[in-house]
Amino acid sequence: MAPKDSFALGGGDFPATRWSVVAAVRSADSNERSRALDALCAAYWKPVYKYIRLKYSKKPEEAQDLTQGLFIELLERDLLSRFEPGKSRLRTYIRLCTDSFVLNEIKHAGRQKRGGDSVHFALDFPAVEGELSAQTIDPASIPSPERFEEFFEREWIRSLFSAAIDDLKELCAARDKQSAFALFESYDLSEDEHLSYTELAAAHKITASDVTNQLAWARREFRLLAQERLRAICATEEEFVREAKILFGGDR
Amino acid sequence: MRFLNDKTLEKLRSAGAVPDLSGTRYTLVEFLARGGMGAVYIAEDQSLKRRVALKVLETEDPEGTLAGRLLREARVLVQLEHPGIVPVHDAGTLADGRVFYVMKFVEGAQLDQFLANVPVLSERLRLFLRICEAVSFAHSRGILHRDLKPANIMVGAFGEVLVMDWGLAKILDPRWSGNSNRDENETRFASKPEPGANNQNTQATGATGDGIVMGTPGYMSPEQASGQIASLDVRSDIFSLGKLLEFMTARQAASRTGKLPRALRAICEKAAATNPSDRYATVSALADDISRFLDGQPVSAYRENLLERTQRFYYRYQAAILLILMYLAMRVMFVLYPRH
Amino acid sequence: MNKILLGLLLGALLGAIDGGTAWLTPAVRAQIVGIIIGSTMKGVIAGVAAGIFARKVNSVPLGILFGLVVGFVLAFLVAFLQHGYYFEIILPGSIVGMLVGWATQRYGTSAATPAAAR
Repeated sequence: MAPKDSFALGGGDFPATRWSVVAAVRSADSNERSRALDALCAAYWKPVYKYIRLKYSKKPEEAQDLTQGLFIELLERDLLSRFEPGKSRLRTYIRLCTDSFVLNEIKHAGRQKRGGDSVHFALDFPAVEGELSAQTIDPASIPSPERFEEFFEREWIRSLFSAAIDDLKELCAARDKQSAFALFESYDLSEDEHLSYTELAAAHKITASDVTNQLAWARREFRLLAQERLRAICATEEEFVREAKILFGGDR
Repeated sequence: MRFLNDKTLEKLRSAGAVPDLSGTRYTLVEFLARGGMGAVYIAEDQSLKRRVALKVLETEDPEGTLAGRLLREARVLVQLEHPGIVPVHDAGTLADGRVFYVMKFVEGAQLDQFLANVPVLSERLRLFLRICEAVSFAHSRGILHRDLKPANIMVGAFGEVLVMDWGLAKILDPRWSGNSNRDENETRFASKPEPGANNQNTQATGATGDGIVMGTPGYMSPEQASGQIASLDVRSDIFSLGKLLEFMTARQAASRTGKLPRALRAICEKAAATNPSDRYATVSALADDISRFLDGQPVSAYRENLLERTQRFYYRYQAAILLILMYLAMRVMFVLYPRH
Repeated sequence: MNKILLGLLLGALLGAIDGGTAWLTPAVRAQIVGIIIGSTMKGVIAGVAAGIFARKVNSVPLGILFGLVVGFVLAFLVAFLQHGYYFEIILPGSIVGMLVGWATQRYGTSAATPAAAR
C-alpha cells in the first residue's frame, strides 16, 4: 500500500504494487518524479519541520518556509538523484540535506525571498506546531545538540506510525472491522497501562477472547501497513530490513 | 493524522514487535533475549503445559531468505540430538508471517555468570570438556557452529552444559541440508555494520574476501573474520574453543597466582593459533590434551623440560612419593636406632 | 584390572616387600619367612578392603584414610599377637595401607556394567 497523503503538487493514489520513492525520483516521467516527492514530503515534512525548529531555533514561520524550501530544493536541484543507497540511509541523507539547506539559507539570509510563483505544499503546520508545543512543554525533553539525530529518527518513526494508523483505520472501515480499530485505539493507543482485556471486553460487550483475536489482527495489520509505508521510502531491500528493525525496536 | 506521544510510540513499537502466536499452541510469557537474526521469548506450550523458548525471526525478510535460514537452523538442531545441544521441539510460521521455532527453555545461567561461582580450575576445565563433547558431536555430523562464545553457552539448573544459538551454523555435510550445493548453505547478510555497533555482539563485519560474514570479534577465527567462508572447517570452531578456554581460565589466573600453568597456556595458544594448520586438527584432540592436563600427564601442545617433567611427575604422584619416602625414612630410623 | 584385584596384587607385593625389610632387623632375621608370609597376607587383606572401598567411594583422601585405618588395625593385631615390635609393625603396616588406598583410588576399573545394559 502506497502512501495516501496528497498535496497540491502531484497527488492522487499510488500504484498498489511495490513502489520506491528513490527509484521513482530517477524516473524519466515527470509525474512519477512529482509523486515521489509527494511521498517523500509525506514521510519527512514533520520530522524536518520539528528538526529545523528545535536545532536551529527558528520561529514557526521561518521553519515553515525552510521546510517548504527544502522540498522544493530537492525537486529543483534533483538532489535525490545524487543519493547513493549503498552509502547511507535515505533518512540520513534527508537530514543532511536539511542541515546543508538551512545553513546555506542562513548564510545567504539577505538574498531575495522566494517568489509567490514557487511551488507550495499544503502542509498542516499549525497542527505540527501544536504537537511540538506539547512535546517541548518540559524543557528537559528538548534534545541536546548531540541528540538531534536521535530526535530526527524518533520524529520520523512518529510520522510513519501516525500515517500507518490512519491507513489501518481506513482498512478497518473498508473491511467492516471498525470494532477491531476501536479496540486497537483503546488499548494500544491509550496511555492507560492498567487496562486489561477483561475491562476492554466489558466495555465493548464482547468476550476477552474476541478482544485478544481482534487486537492480534489489528496489530498484525498495523505492522504490515507500517512496513509498506517504510518500504516505499527505502532505497533498497537491505535498507528496508535495517530500518524495519529500528522501527519495531529490534535494535534495542 | 493523530499525534502519538512518546509513551504511545514506545507501546506501538513493542506491540509491533511482539509475535502473534494466535493459531499456535503457545502463549507468550515474556521477552527473553535478542540475537542477530531473531528474538527469543519464553512461551507456554498449552498442550504439554511446559515452558519453552520461542525464537522468532525479527529481521524483516522481504525475500524470504532469512526465514529459510531460521528454519534451516531448526532442522540443523533437530539433527544434532545430543545432551549438550539445545533440542528443538517445533517450527513453523506465525499468523503475522514470521517464522519461528521452539526449543527447550533452559533455566540456568550463561557461562560467564556461572563461572563466577566456579573458582576451581579443574572444574572449569571439566565444564570445557563438556562443551567440547557437544561441538565434537556437531562436527561429526558435518556442522560447524561458527559463533562459539560465552554468551552462547548455558549451564542449566542441573549442571548440564548446552551449546546454544546455531543460527550461524555452516553445514559441511550437504546431507543435513538437503542441498547438494554447499555455497547455498551460507548466510549472506548484505547489511553493513551499524555505526557504533557493540563489538561484543554477533555482528556483520565489513565485506572482505568471499563476502560479508557474521561472527563475534574476539572469538571468530581469522579466516572467518576475513570472509573466507568457503574454506572454513572444524578448525575455525577450534579457534573459538581456544578463545573460550582462554576466557574460562583467565579469570582463574586473575584470582589466584596470576599465572596459568604453562601446559594449559600452550593448549590455549595451540587451539587459538592464527594459522589453522597450527591448531588442533579436531576437537577431540583438544579435549584429549585437556584431559591429559587434568590427569597430570604430558600434553601434546607443550614440550616439557626435565625440571617440569619431574615437577609434574611429583605432583601427579605426590601422595605415593611422600608415603614411600615416609616408609623409607621410617625404615632407616629403625635401622639406625633399633629398639630393644 | 578391577580395583579389588589391583588392591589384592599391590597389597601382596607391598606386604611382601614390607615383610622382607624385617631382614634389616637382625633380631628377627631367623623368622623372615614367616614375617614375609604374614606381611603379605596383611597386605592382601588391606588391598582387597581398599579395593572394595574404592569401588564405592571415589575420593583419594578418603581412600588413603581408609587404607590407613585398615593397615593400622591389621598391623596392630599382628603386633599384639607378637607381643612386641609395635612401632616396627604398625607404622610400616599403616603406610602400606595408605599406599594401597591411594593406588586403588587412582587406578583400576570400577564396578562391572549392570545386567540391564548388556
